[in-house]
Amino acid sequence: MKGSEESYRNMYTCMKKIREFETTAMNRFADGKIPGFVHLYIGEEAVATGVCENLRNDDFITSTHRGHGHIIAKGGDVKFMMAELFGKATGYCKGKGGSMHIADASKGILGANGIVGAGHNIAVGAGLSIKLRKTDQVCICFFGDASTNQGTFHEGLNMASIWKLPVVFVCENNYYGISMSQARHQAIKDIADRAVSYGIPGVAVDGNDVTATYEASREAIARARKGLGPTLIECKTYRHRGHFEGDPGTYKPTEEQKAWLEKDPIPRFREFLKKNGIMTEDDLAKIDNSVAEAIKDAVRFADESPEPDVSSVVIDVYSDITEEVRVR
Amino acid sequence: MASIGIIANPASGKDIRRLVSYATVIDNNEKVNIVKRIVLAAQGYGIDEIYIMPDSFMMGGKVIDELLAEGVLRSDCRIVDMPIRADSSDSTEAARAMNQLGVGCVVILGGDGTSRAVAKSIGDVPIIPLSTGTNNVYPSMFEGTVAGAAAAITALSPEPRLTCIHDKRIEAYIDGKLSDIALVDAVVSTEISVGARAIWKTSSIRSIIVTRAHPASIGFSAVVGSLEIVKPEDDFGYSVDIGGEDVMVKASIAAGIVERLNLSLARKLELGRRYRQEIDRNCTIALDGEREMQITSGEAVELCVSRNGPWRVDIRKTLEKAHAEGFFRVTTR
Repeated sequence: MKGSEESYRNMYTCMKKIREFETTAMNRFADGKIPGFVHLYIGEEAVATGVCENLRNDDFITSTHRGHGHIIAKGGDVKFMMAELFGKATGYCKGKGGSMHIADASKGILGANGIVGAGHNIAVGAGLSIKLRKTDQVCICFFGDASTNQGTFHEGLNMASIWKLPVVFVCENNYYGISMSQARHQAIKDIADRAVSYGIPGVAVDGNDVTATYEASREAIARARKGLGPTLIECKTYRHRGHFEGDPGTYKPTEEQKAWLEKDPIPRFREFLKKNGIMTEDDLAKIDNSVAEAIKDAVRFADESPEPDVSSVVIDVYSDITEEVRVR
Repeated sequence: MASIGIIANPASGKDIRRLVSYATVIDNNEKVNIVKRIVLAAQGYGIDEIYIMPDSFMMGGKVIDELLAEGVLRSDCRIVDMPIRADSSDSTEAARAMNQLGVGCVVILGGDGTSRAVAKSIGDVPIIPLSTGTNNVYPSMFEGTVAGAAAAITALSPEPRLTCIHDKRIEAYIDGKLSDIALVDAVVSTEISVGARAIWKTSSIRSIIVTRAHPASIGFSAVVGSLEIVKPEDDFGYSVDIGGEDVMVKASIAAGIVERLNLSLARKLELGRRYRQEIDRNCTIALDGEREMQITSGEAVELCVSRNGPWRVDIRKTLEKAHAEGFFRVTTR
């Protein structure tokens, strides 16, 4: 990869921001400050970061139940995200949605999603919208390995291929569907193989190397912008934590965890930047400090924000679209 | 007792060249089928023991279970007992183990990269590399049944190397120490990261060093092949610099991709001689098509073409010799 210095800086900052956000969420969840569930992205930062570095503000993403990393990488505001996790009125969903419903239409973030496999066809819808409006936007669909066993994955790839939609399907293969290993839930090893069935390119890359995810997605996104249709990119990665906070992850063999910790994407990229003289230890430490400050600010903002008013429980339940349809 | 080994790489044929070129896709279930055909042919021609590399797709287990269920597995077919790291070191370790087990031939399913991983540790055990990868120059496209037959004949032969080619390899030395090898080509690239590993942008390439080159192949050895032909048997290699002003060529640099390139004239490389590479900036060296080595400016890099590569079975020659010796005739009482 021959990225600009700015890209390298952005990507390191983004990965650190995701890690800091998730580590903070982990600790605050343990303290009982966060209601509901949190599914952490620790270990998978290179995927969202490398892919989203190739996106514009007007591009779209669809996310998953493990969505914090995607949302941060696409430019989501960590203050509003943290407030949402804390269930505060200043959060992205006014404190009523929690971790799995964060969205920001102004940044093309079409939402985290609590339903496994629900993002595929939302992405296809976004892709169709782009095609009908004749713009050169793209939509990235992030999803996990186990969701490719759902019908929505196959419907989505089929339709995106037939209509040559500008959707890049990015599979984060972390080798587990909740606690079930990929070998037990899938008759294939490489999810990239599934692209063949839909007549689109399918590639597998090291999802723990941000230069690899950046390069592969750059090519796929360029292809999509040119109207050449969708691509399936499989990023081999690993979540360091359990499926959700509270899951001890005892089903993951110790040796396997150890091997993946050695491939942690952040220290790897840090070493790469230093070895190639792109950033010094001082440069990196400055980024680390500023990211830590930003997350502290986000926690402060969330802590100081008010709880949603009880009356808000009936607000935003139904969309006005019902009225619009009736009028039509 | 005669035995063979099978190393099938579950990761071959999935890289970014499916996106940036028109590379072949071979899924792992097809590799399982190919392994079955090798096993059945090898046992059909007299092999008693077959060792298969363990892998994360559990190809060996699938082959054994399914052939047993079908009632057609007669040979003693086993998975090599070794830990899996799910990277190219598995192929290297499996080759080492098979060498120690004393197998008579190893069949490899993968691309140039898989053969390269095996070549690191296979020693003088003859190999049959079958192409299930990308832009392959080293492995060839042969039906698994034919490969299984050739493997059996090789393993049963008292002089198996008579129908083998002792291949060349490129040795990469960093600061005087052997660091890595390639079987076909080494490409110095101005890319500083290994990224998606494959190399496909000619604008980032500075030079190409080859053990073999032919216009009938694809990839970066084909660039040299557009100027000079070097056969595996030839006791020399070649190198060219990209961006030279001596000559412009058209070459098949990837599946379906033909490019025009300005080159220096090809320089013949003597076997066994180390050639110093002028590295004035951080860069990567791609070995057999994949960025493998990250080089820091100032490191002393030397590349050497040697005759220290593996013994590769000439399938056609092996089968023809067996035919001439009556190997395929069945005598009945």
